[in-house]
Amino acid sequence: MMYPEPTNIWESIEYSSFGISIAESLWAFPTIESLHVMALVTVFGTIMIMDLRLLGLASNKVPVTAMSSDTLKWTWIGFVIAAITGTLLFISKASTYMVNPYFLTKMGLMAAAGLNMVIFHFVTYKTVNEWDTSGVLPTGAKLAGILSLAFWLVIVFCGRAIGFTLGIYY
Amino acid sequence: MLDFIFDILFFITDWLRTTFLLDFAFWITETSLSLFMVENFWNVPIAQVVHITAIAAAFGSLLMVVLRINEKAGTSVTVSDAVARYLPWVWYGLLAIVLSGLLMITAEPIRNMVNSVFWIKMVLLLVTVLITLGFQKSVAAKALAGGATFEASSGTRKTGVLLIVLWLFIMLAGRWIAYVPV
Repeated sequence: MMYPEPTNIWESIEYSSFGISIAESLWAFPTIESLHVMALVTVFGTIMIMDLRLLGLASNKVPVTAMSSDTLKWTWIGFVIAAITGTLLFISKASTYMVNPYFLTKMGLMAAAGLNMVIFHFVTYKTVNEWDTSGVLPTGAKLAGILSLAFWLVIVFCGRAIGFTLGIYY
Repeated sequence: MLDFIFDILFFITDWLRTTFLLDFAFWITETSLSLFMVENFWNVPIAQVVHITAIAAAFGSLLMVVLRINEKAGTSVTVSDAVARYLPWVWYGLLAIVLSGLLMITAEPIRNMVNSVFWIKMVLLLVTVLITLGFQKSVAAKALAGGATFEASSGTRKTGVLLIVLWLFIMLAGRWIAYVPV
């Protein structure tokens, strides 16, 4: 099959032999997408558990530091797999994704969720010894928890919205 | 190999087309709930977001139980406490999964019910629910009797890992409903 000459970097990625082979394969896109789903529910599931602890709504018997080390490793394993599979999905339709507002919103929200996590770990978490075993957490921790829940829920929504709007914007 | 698998799946779907499911699916498309689900563009995606969020809650909770039983995480609490904290969420999650799933089936009954992968997913789900019921009963009883120092047997540990693998296959099937040749 012939593909048009790329006019920008996204088309160059999409029409690379790698991008084309994912897009043309009968099994590659669905299989990578399935792995993406398995990874993202691991990310979202473990994050919800940590966020509920930060909000003081569940697992209050478990110290915040213990809950963090119990969940964070799995959150990262899931995130790395989701990021790799997500990149592969992106490569196969790069220029279509780059004009999709839900994709762009999703990327922005992931940056925001990352920033929320960075602020929590490097600022709020400094005083964790004072509230580690408490069910009542400082406002900063609660705020991090509620923002994280909200960001990830909307990220999942955007992810689904991309699948329903891919043909609309190009 | 892949062609062979697709052929078998298509063969099953072809057979499903000859059963009552086809008429039943067409009947569902004319119900008011089905019309409601398809008449707003966002209804199906929103049902899917609920579905995925509920899977995250159920799967994340199951993961924490299985990790605790295998002493890979959550060792600051007893197995009893971990089971009491997380296993109910597997069931709450499952309830939301089933309800949102029913809405998705109602929206697109033919694509789902006349689809071999959908029924493979339903069988896997049923098997998983049955194993989870047995797992819950046995772990809860043994952990309570064993007290704070309870360590799960290798059979219990492996059953936990099996449940995780079954959930992953259910997710795989879930995504392939949309892609399998029908």
